[in-house]
Amino acid sequence: MDDETYINYFSILGLEENCKTGDVRKNYKKMMKDLILNIHSTEVTPDQLDQYLLAMAKLNAAFYILRDEVRRNAYVEHRKKVIQLEKQWCEVGENDPNSPEGDQLRREFDRVLRDFLTKYMEELVLEAGRDKECVETSNWDPYHERHASRVLRHYRQKQYSQIHERLPYYDVTKPTIDWGEREQAVKQILHAEKV
Amino acid sequence: MTDKTGNTSKVVEQEAINFAMAKSIADGDIVNFHFLFLPYSPLREDSTEDIYSIKYSYLLPTQEEEQSPTFKSALDLVLREDIREHINEQLHKKGPIQLLSELLLALADNAVRQEKFTSASQAYELLRIRRRMQELFFEQGERELIQGNISTAVRAYRIASSLEYDYGAFPEPLPAVPRYHEHALILHAEYKTHQIECIGNLALEDFLKTAFHYLFLLPEHASKITDKPIEIQTQFLIELIQQIDPNWGQFVQHVHETIPLMQELYQELKLRMERIASGNLWEDEWDEGLDTEKFLTISELLLGRKLNNPEWWAYLKELAYEHPPSILFISRQLIGKEQEIIIPRYNMANPIVQQLNLPPLPADM
Repeated sequence: MDDETYINYFSILGLEENCKTGDVRKNYKKMMKDLILNIHSTEVTPDQLDQYLLAMAKLNAAFYILRDEVRRNAYVEHRKKVIQLEKQWCEVGENDPNSPEGDQLRREFDRVLRDFLTKYMEELVLEAGRDKECVETSNWDPYHERHASRVLRHYRQKQYSQIHERLPYYDVTKPTIDWGEREQAVKQILHAEKV
Repeated sequence: MTDKTGNTSKVVEQEAINFAMAKSIADGDIVNFHFLFLPYSPLREDSTEDIYSIKYSYLLPTQEEEQSPTFKSALDLVLREDIREHINEQLHKKGPIQLLSELLLALADNAVRQEKFTSASQAYELLRIRRRMQELFFEQGERELIQGNISTAVRAYRIASSLEYDYGAFPEPLPAVPRYHEHALILHAEYKTHQIECIGNLALEDFLKTAFHYLFLLPEHASKITDKPIEIQTQFLIELIQQIDPNWGQFVQHVHETIPLMQELYQELKLRMERIASGNLWEDEWDEGLDTEKFLTISELLLGRKLNNPEWWAYLKELAYEHPPSILFISRQLIGKEQEIIIPRYNMANPIVQQLNLPPLPADM
C-alpha cells in the first residue's frame, strides 16, 4: 500500500513525524521561497499554472496544519485511522468483499476516507490560504483561492480514484486483464471500420 | 404460473434475458446494461415491469440487429455457462449487485468502436483500467504517427483524449465531455487589438497551437502533438477537423453562401471609412443608415438557420456545437455601434484553409 496517496504533509516539508515546530517554519519558508523563484524564472503554461497553484496550496496547508499542535495531532490521528481501515478492508475484501463484515468495513472506510480527503485536501488547504503568515509568505490572494477550489477538487477526486483502484473489487467481479490482449484489442479497434 | 390466491406470477424467459444482455453489450450501452440488473428491471421476476411490453422494446434486438457479428459475439459470451449462471444469480439477488467484468470489458470495447466515449470510459473506470487504456491508445497513436498513418493516429489520439475523466465533477467524478460552446466564447471573447487578429489570421504555428488546445479536452493531450514538426501537425489538424466534424462540407457550403453579403458589407464599410477620411461623415455616426437587419443574415447563413436571439455569441455557441472546428475560421464583426455578427475570416495562405476547401473571402477592410 502506498501511504503517500493519503497526503503526507510531513514529507511535503521534507520532515519526520517527530519534527519540531521551528523546523516546520524553517522548511516552509525555504521551500515557498524556492517555489516562488521557480515560478518567476520560467514561462508558465496553463497546465503548469495549476501545478504551481497546487504545490503552493500544499505548502501553505502543511505549514498551517503542522505548526499547531491540536491540528497536527488531529491530522496524524485521522491519517493513521484511514490507513488502518484500508488495510482491514483489503484483508477482508480480498476473500469475500460482499460479506456483511466486508460491506460494513468498506462503507466505514469510504466515509472516513472522504472525510479525510475533504478536510485535509480541500477545507484546511483553503483555510491555510487565509492565514496571515501564509498570506505574507506566499502572497496568496482571493484570485488564488478562486482557482485553487477547482484545482483542489480535481486533485482530491483524482486521489480518491487512485486509492479506489487498488482496493478489492466489490461492484464488479475482479477482472483478469491480459495487457498483451488489450494492446491487440486497441490495434484491432483502430484498424477496424468505424461501426 | 398461478399461486393459491389466483394471481399469476411473472416468468421471464431465459432467451429474453440473454438477448437483452447481449444487446446492451453489443450497443456499448452501460446505462441499459446497468438498468437490467436494478431492482425494478423488467428482467427480474420479482419486478412488476414487463420486458415484453412495448415500452421496453428498445432493450431487445431487432431482427436485423440479431444478425450483426457484434451482437452474435456478445450473445456467445452471455451464453457461456458460468456467465449465464452469474447473470441469473444477480437477477435473483436482493441488495447490491456485482457486474461481471468480462461483460463490462466487451461492452467498453464495443462502446469505443461506436465512439460512445462516455459509456466506454465509465465501463473502463469501473474495471479500473481506464487510465491504462487511455495510455495504450496514446501510445498506439504515437506509433501510427511515426509510420505515417495520420488518419489512424488521429483516431487513436481522439479516442484516448475522449476517455478522460472529470475528477472535478460533483459529487462524483464523471466522464469528461468537450465543451466547445464554452471554449469558443472564451476564444472569441476579445482579440488583442483588432478583429483582424482573430484566430484565422494567426501565424501557422500559433494557429495550430490554438486549434489543438481548443479541440482536445485537456492541455496535456494537446501538448502531445504540439511538440511534433509543423508539417505533421498540419496534416494531423486537417484530419482531426474532418473526424470531429463529419459534416464539415456543410459548413464550407454555408461559408460560400455568405460571400455575396460579405462583399456588400465590406464595400459599404469601405465607403464609410473613405467618407470619414474626407470629412464627409462624423466618426461617431459611421453606422448611421447601415442596413443591420440585412447583414445579420450573415450569421444566419453561416449557421444555416435563424435564432431568436440575434447576438453574435448566441450564433457562436450554436455553431460551436454543430461544427466545433468552424470556430477557428470565423471572427466577430461590428455592423453597428452595439451590433456584432459572426463572419468567416481566415488567411488563404494557411495550408489548412486550402485543404479544408474553404473558399477565398472578399478582401478584408
